[in-house]
Amino acid sequence: MTTQSISESPLRKIYGRLGLKDAVKSRRHLSDYLFKIILGMAIIIIVSPFFFVLFQVASIGFEQVFGTGPGQGIEFLFTFPGAGLEGGIRNAFVGTVELILLASAVGIPLSVFGAVYINEYTQPGKLRAIIEFTSDVLAGIPSIVFGAFGFAFLVDYLHIGMGIVAGSLTLAFMMIPTVLRTTQEALRAVPMSLREASLALGATKWSTTWNVTLRSAFPGVITGILLAIGRVMGETAPLIFTAGNSLSVPTEITGPGSWVASMPYTIWAYISDPRQYLQEKAHGTALALMMMVLAIDVIANLISRKVTRRLV
Amino acid sequence: MSNFEHHIEVHNLSTWFGKKHILKDITCYFKDNTITAIMGPSGCGKSTLLRSLNRLNDLVPSFRHTGIVLFRGEDIYGPGFSVYDLRTHIGMVFQKPNPFPMSVRDNITYGPKLHGTKDEDELEKIVETSLKKAALWDEVKDDLDHPAPNLSGGQQQRLCIARALSVDPPVLLMDEPVSALDPISATKIEELIVELKNDYTIILVTHNVQQAFRVSDQSAFLYLGELVEFDETKRILEAPTDSRTEAFITGRIG
Repeated sequence: MTTQSISESPLRKIYGRLGLKDAVKSRRHLSDYLFKIILGMAIIIIVSPFFFVLFQVASIGFEQVFGTGPGQGIEFLFTFPGAGLEGGIRNAFVGTVELILLASAVGIPLSVFGAVYINEYTQPGKLRAIIEFTSDVLAGIPSIVFGAFGFAFLVDYLHIGMGIVAGSLTLAFMMIPTVLRTTQEALRAVPMSLREASLALGATKWSTTWNVTLRSAFPGVITGILLAIGRVMGETAPLIFTAGNSLSVPTEITGPGSWVASMPYTIWAYISDPRQYLQEKAHGTALALMMMVLAIDVIANLISRKVTRRLV
Repeated sequence: MSNFEHHIEVHNLSTWFGKKHILKDITCYFKDNTITAIMGPSGCGKSTLLRSLNRLNDLVPSFRHTGIVLFRGEDIYGPGFSVYDLRTHIGMVFQKPNPFPMSVRDNITYGPKLHGTKDEDELEKIVETSLKKAALWDEVKDDLDHPAPNLSGGQQQRLCIARALSVDPPVLLMDEPVSALDPISATKIEELIVELKNDYTIILVTHNVQQAFRVSDQSAFLYLGELVEFDETKRILEAPTDSRTEAFITGRIG
């Protein structure tokens, strides 16, 4: 009964939760307690930048994305910019969606099939080591280099010209190392005995790979795709020299009609502009972009969980 | 003995992984509706011999062989012989239970679907008969859509047996199928293997002499890649002719 009344005291409760009650017992208890505090502080330091960024962006851009006034909220995303860049960011929103869709359509199958080929159809050896080393290096290359490469190779050398094709291909190049390596890791984690079980039933190599190996690796593959999309979605540098910019959406596949705006590019352009309302629009765009990345994250997690539940 | 049609015959089989000589000039045969135990200490080539029979060794790129393996009189390593057909006729159960990460039902229907069975009713029937043969039906009939990896180890192994039976192969290869299981599950599966003998030719790899004695009709004793003895299990275990066999049986090697 006495313990009951002690634990009822609110101050005691807080002490109890923090473990302070134990901390004063002895030196060992105290050092144990201090270490817990240090770990907790590390976590706070790790997590806080995310909230600072979110707060900073939201404090200026919130009205643009969630406001109910004219040109705010959903209208902000679905109105084209007008004179003096007043209006919404439909050009950038649609442009980013199109760029990401095209880049994914090229980059994801290429890298998934590439990973399948390396892991399932070649033997460990020099070739595999070279490919893995190259993609690791590629994954660490600064995005501006991809932009320069996209410009030199796609825009100039192949005469594709700036626009949605060159832009999305450059983004696809950037996605490949991430998706390739994560897919490889996921495939490697699938036990050999599963492949053998399928082959021993008379399955061909391909149907084993498709129905058993890739399906077992699916959650890992999704994670890689998610990482890659999240990364390229916010890239400005690869698009500066390759995608052009536009106040409208692309109407053609090549030429100036194919120039396309993107959200990161728009953020960069608006934030370098002294006009106050463009600062607000830049932050609004940033907030919208962050939410899009978050939404993709959530959707991919749901898909992955659903497939895993069906499989495992 | 002569009234059996030998499903599988092995003539002068030698195998290598790279430069490592694994099997040395093996000649033996596996009779219909019998259980043949392949015994021997670890590393003697038991599994290699078993995997030569459904060509699973082909997965290892450094694998080479000489000699002939006949299945129903056809050379399985011969040109024009379909390895996929071979494997639908020779099922395999592995040492560790390895159910696919799918539902119980999908594990069973995987094989038949691969080979073109699309009719839902027929698939349902295959699921039931396979699971009944593997003595698992009563335990899982209400949970066919549950994930197979959630079953217990013994249930998983019986599911793997059911999966192997789903394409109705006349021959079943078993690579130490109970060594990773608890004694109770192991006993269950041993009983099941004996029962399956009525319908299937079973080739069982084991390093457990007692198990070979309990379940098998004939035995092959391998030692360092050589076939030391090959005869009826009872004869080998009661009166081994080779000192190495005797040493293995009495537990001095292995």
